[in-house]
Amino acid sequence: MTPLLQITNLHASIEDREILKGIDLTVNAGEVHAIMGPNGSGKSTLASVLAGREDYSVTEGSVLFNGKELMELSPEERSREGLFLAFQYPVEIPGVSTANFVKTAVNESRKHRGQEPLEPAAFLALMRERMALVEMDPSFLQRSLNEGFSGGEKKRNEIFQMAMLDPVLAVLDETDSGLDIDALRIVASGVNALRRADNATIVITHYQRLLDHIVPDYVHVLWNGRIVKSGDKSLALELEQRGYDWLKQEAAVEA
Amino acid sequence: MSTHPLVELAQRLVPAHVVSGDVESSDGRLDALRREGLREFVRMGIPTTRHEEWKYTNLFPFIGLDYSYVPVRWSARAASTDARTSMTEVASALGQHISIRIVDGVVEANLTNVPDGVDILELTSDIVENDKDVARTLGSGAPIGSHPFVALNTALLESGIVIRLRKGVQCELPIHLSVETTANASTLIAPRLLIIAEEGAEADIIHSSHTSGGATVLDVTVVEASIAATAHIRYYKIADDSDASRSISSVTADVHRDATFTSHALSIGGRFVRNDLAIRLCEPSSQGFLYGVSLLAQSEYTDNHTVVDHMVPHCHSEELYKGIYDGSSTGVFNGKIYVRPQAQKTTAYQSNHTLLLSSKAQVQAKPQLEIWADDVKCSHGATMGQVDDEAIFYFRSRGIDEATAKALLTYAFVSEVAEKISLEGLRELVMRRIARRLSAESILA
Repeated sequence: MTPLLQITNLHASIEDREILKGIDLTVNAGEVHAIMGPNGSGKSTLASVLAGREDYSVTEGSVLFNGKELMELSPEERSREGLFLAFQYPVEIPGVSTANFVKTAVNESRKHRGQEPLEPAAFLALMRERMALVEMDPSFLQRSLNEGFSGGEKKRNEIFQMAMLDPVLAVLDETDSGLDIDALRIVASGVNALRRADNATIVITHYQRLLDHIVPDYVHVLWNGRIVKSGDKSLALELEQRGYDWLKQEAAVEA
Repeated sequence: MSTHPLVELAQRLVPAHVVSGDVESSDGRLDALRREGLREFVRMGIPTTRHEEWKYTNLFPFIGLDYSYVPVRWSARAASTDARTSMTEVASALGQHISIRIVDGVVEANLTNVPDGVDILELTSDIVENDKDVARTLGSGAPIGSHPFVALNTALLESGIVIRLRKGVQCELPIHLSVETTANASTLIAPRLLIIAEEGAEADIIHSSHTSGGATVLDVTVVEASIAATAHIRYYKIADDSDASRSISSVTADVHRDATFTSHALSIGGRFVRNDLAIRLCEPSSQGFLYGVSLLAQSEYTDNHTVVDHMVPHCHSEELYKGIYDGSSTGVFNGKIYVRPQAQKTTAYQSNHTLLLSSKAQVQAKPQLEIWADDVKCSHGATMGQVDDEAIFYFRSRGIDEATAKALLTYAFVSEVAEKISLEGLRELVMRRIARRLSAESILA
């Protein structure tokens, strides 16, 4: 079976400063991977590079997504191919309603797959159903996208968009940051409801807390631009107890 | 120094008896006003960019053309039915409305559907002599002594249009003044409009210009409005014209107790547009709302000079102008707010935001607040920039391509002010135009 995502020796820089220094990661359908690590280790850079943020330049390595070279695709093509990034800081867009934004996004993906745009009534019904997954009030549909939303509302809106776009691979970039425990539970249950045998999720987080709710199959620790340790969910618990310093020392010895 | 051709033209057009004013006793008010206009125009001449108020307004490319003057006159015949295609879009956006057209200088007012209490009159020397409201309004607001083109318009003033709304009249139908000019040679027109809203009257007045024929049409328009207590007038100045049009207009409004004057300056086409708008809040609890949308491309130029004069306490003004400039277009915004020493408890807000879609487009923004009272709430803000990269990336990460993202964001940017247009059809027309300019009609429909 072809892996959903195969990252090989990925190097990426911003303004000539190398942030990712050779990442290797394989994600298969049906799996949840957690990527943890201290601040500045490169977690968010990895998410940005996967989504195609143009501030970063990929200097070496390859990323195969469903067998296609991801780095050759524009951000919008990646999305249409089934990649989804939940933003750490979702952008406020005054004047564009959530409904109009989601409708435009979904129809772009449908067009890409050779499907007709959804009928307005069916679309509205689908939006209401998917909003319920993250306990979002339908009144948000008419509001400007993310404008004046609380931190929790923004993150729920990200998962709502994910539910509408139905990605093959979702990358959640610090989705737990700034969430209280109730919002965390709602967001996590939304993500869990979307888990299937034919899709996969990469959860990027600083804290173990989120992983109580979204239970990963694999946990990877990123430090200084490399994955320095991989394990199962027990690794997250160990990190919670011991911190990151022991891993930094191990990595330093190996290097 | 030789006399400027336009000054010469004005001197030629104003009859000798008006110029001399020999027979003081039989000299009418209109003639006296024309004489003052000519005197001031000759004195001021054509402003150059050395003049502070005309610093960015380059009149040079067209002001020296050899213009033929087409005076405004009222037609004895019934209104013709053949509308220029350029104005039909505005007219149809308005749905059922009261139509006043100035076609090549000839006023064709269709008065059949004008409700009682709405008077659409010819401005004549008789009416200026005999109607105290007209006499009081004409020449009262327009800055004859400081705006050269107001002086020019006044010098040439023989006829014009008076829209009078009688006490308490709510005019349900919008009133559309359409100035349509076909020119095969450089043409000067100088329409004059008086708006007299009596106590409690309410109306929407739409003013648009449409040029065809290919030769330059210089439209020097003066509008004077007098808004009595508790009246509410919404005035829309639409520049949606051909490349041959050059429009210079002055709009002034005196607003009385508990009354409002709302202005929309909608520039969605036209090579050169200079709008001067001055609102005087003359009595307590009067309000002024000033909105503007300038959607410019190629080498288009739109220049909005606004003044809000808070003369008395407890008045409110709100100003929001937004510009989207593409190509090598230039947009100018100059917004003055005066708060007089006695005008305590004033609230006055001004903002002006510009989106530059091209590296060659230019913006000049100058907020000017002069506040002499101490118990007031006033603010102003001006921003200019490009579409936010982070926002574009957010759209792209959801499968929406860059061009569509830019169009959606630009559309959203301007919709905030377009939404203030209370006439639905007109609002939709403006939004449709914006969508068309952004080549994004399908996604924005």
